Amino acid sequence: MDAESQERFREFVESRSSALLRTAVLLCGGDRHAAEDQLQNALVKVADRWRGIDDPEAYARQVLYRQQISRWRLKWPRREVAVAEPPERASDGEQGAAELRVLMRGALARLTPRQRTVLVLRYFEDLPEADVARVLGCSVGTVRSTTHRSLARLRRLAPELAALAPAAARPAAPSRDISPVEVRP
Amino acid sequence: MNVDQLVRRTLQEQAAEHVRAPGDLADRVLRTRRHRRTARGLAGGAVAVAAVVATAVTVTVSDPRGVQATPASETRTADVEAHPDQSPPRELIAAGNAAVSGFYTGRTVKEDDGDELFLRRYHLLDQKTGGYAPADEKWAWVDVAPGLRTAAVLEGELPASRIGLLDLMTGRVTRWITVERPVAAVTWSPDGRRLVATAYSRNPDRLIDRPDDHPANGPRQHSSRTGFYVIDAATGDVGPFRALPRSEPDTWGAPLGVSRTDLVWGRDGTVLYAEKSDGTRDWYTPDGEKTRTPAGERYAGASRAGLSPDGAYAAADGDVNGSPVVDARTGKKVATVPGMQPLAWADGKRLIALGCDPKKCGGRNEFRTQLLLVTVGSGKAVPLSGFRKGAEGGAGRWVPMVTGR
Repeated sequence: MDAESQERFREFVESRSSALLRTAVLLCGGDRHAAEDQLQNALVKVADRWRGIDDPEAYARQVLYRQQISRWRLKWPRREVAVAEPPERASDGEQGAAELRVLMRGALARLTPRQRTVLVLRYFEDLPEADVARVLGCSVGTVRSTTHRSLARLRRLAPELAALAPAAARPAAPSRDISPVEVRP
Repeated sequence: MNVDQLVRRTLQEQAAEHVRAPGDLADRVLRTRRHRRTARGLAGGAVAVAAVVATAVTVTVSDPRGVQATPASETRTADVEAHPDQSPPRELIAAGNAAVSGFYTGRTVKEDDGDELFLRRYHLLDQKTGGYAPADEKWAWVDVAPGLRTAAVLEGELPASRIGLLDLMTGRVTRWITVERPVAAVTWSPDGRRLVATAYSRNPDRLIDRPDDHPANGPRQHSSRTGFYVIDAATGDVGPFRALPRSEPDTWGAPLGVSRTDLVWGRDGTVLYAEKSDGTRDWYTPDGEKTRTPAGERYAGASRAGLSPDGAYAAADGDVNGSPVVDARTGKKVATVPGMQPLAWADGKRLIALGCDPKKCGGRNEFRTQLLLVTVGSGKAVPLSGFRKGAEGGAGRWVPMVTGR
């Protein structure tokens, strides 16, 4: 990497690393230290291929997703994630909703990296199933079954969430996908 | 709420938290890389695995969706693209440097608790076909960037904690920008490089019914604007939050029209304004400091078209008799153009306006309006669209969005 490339790389890291770190924190279930490790690894790969990539941010995100679910990732030591104690009982209204989100955050942290990654791609990045499959290099069926199992596991991890309607009962969910067929502006 | 909605909300909330990458991250990465390169001979196997993953990723990134084409607005470049038989329009409408980037229809939903919610349903220019197609229902706010390639979108219910940049070629969001304080409006700067996002603590499109209010009183406007952000569109960097004082009564009972007091860019993109309920404007610097009305904008009034591209003229809202065009330096009227509502300047002399073609109804019909192309110094009007049906603000009435092309 020559001096000019290093300068551009530094500018890229300075402007985009906080946004990338936010995604990494989600992927790591709120574990800030693990997220920094993951981001640093992804950025090393970005630097390795700096000349050959058009969109370094998109590339960094793909690396983040893939290294999160790749098999050798599972061999890394797992960290215990500090999670706020769930409230005893969710009450009605705004406070109840906030408490449910705290519970949900704790439950998300206890999913496997693969399950969490699929949920982040589906519900935070809003990617249709086919695109999630492409990003992760698996089949659409795997994305669908992983999503289903992850949501079911969330309900088991936090029984308070059981009162919520299951996602499968709402056919509207897929229509939120940003697919060119459905959303074409 | 179901479980997938809760997952979505939780992830959005978590992503909006203030997370800052270490300042020396780039140095750490470059150091690690040098170290790994030195050690490569010792760890050939591991490096090979990483390289395979990286290669596969590169292929996906360089052509993620296989979209390679020219936007329709760049192949339809006739000076005037008119469809006077279409209402709402189905095909691209444009004149000079301006085009209709989309339109919305509004409707009001009464909720069980007495609140009333105003909802917009957007249709946007599909750059693959050159037609207008329904946008995803979840977009509660859309503003199209000059050049017609990208739109900034917000998800309902407003306010939203992230801003999407929607690619009008593919219909996909290419970037999400999270903001710490939720926003209910986002508007492009005239050069398409920056966004201003106005933050609110409540949905400004929701009329709220107070339980302790007299039952005869309907749901009311409220004032919940908290401030704004200026965002770099290319990098997604969100500037510091700029708090604003609440411009009108900060509790209940505020008059109509004050719930939504969005920040909008002035013509030269150096200052911002918010329109008040009396039609006058408060001006701010991008740092949130209140400032004087820029000299050139003094006579632009509350018209959406405002100043002409060269700053010579200002178009003001008119009535059934037409709209006045004034000298921007002196405020002296130079012409009256057909149309009640000038929307945008097509070039230095022509305006896209809403009104009635003088040939059809003598220009004198307040409710029967269509898109017109009018010229300063000429009484003629070229119809660009068919007539809009319904009353202003009523269901089925489409509201055009005009953007530089």
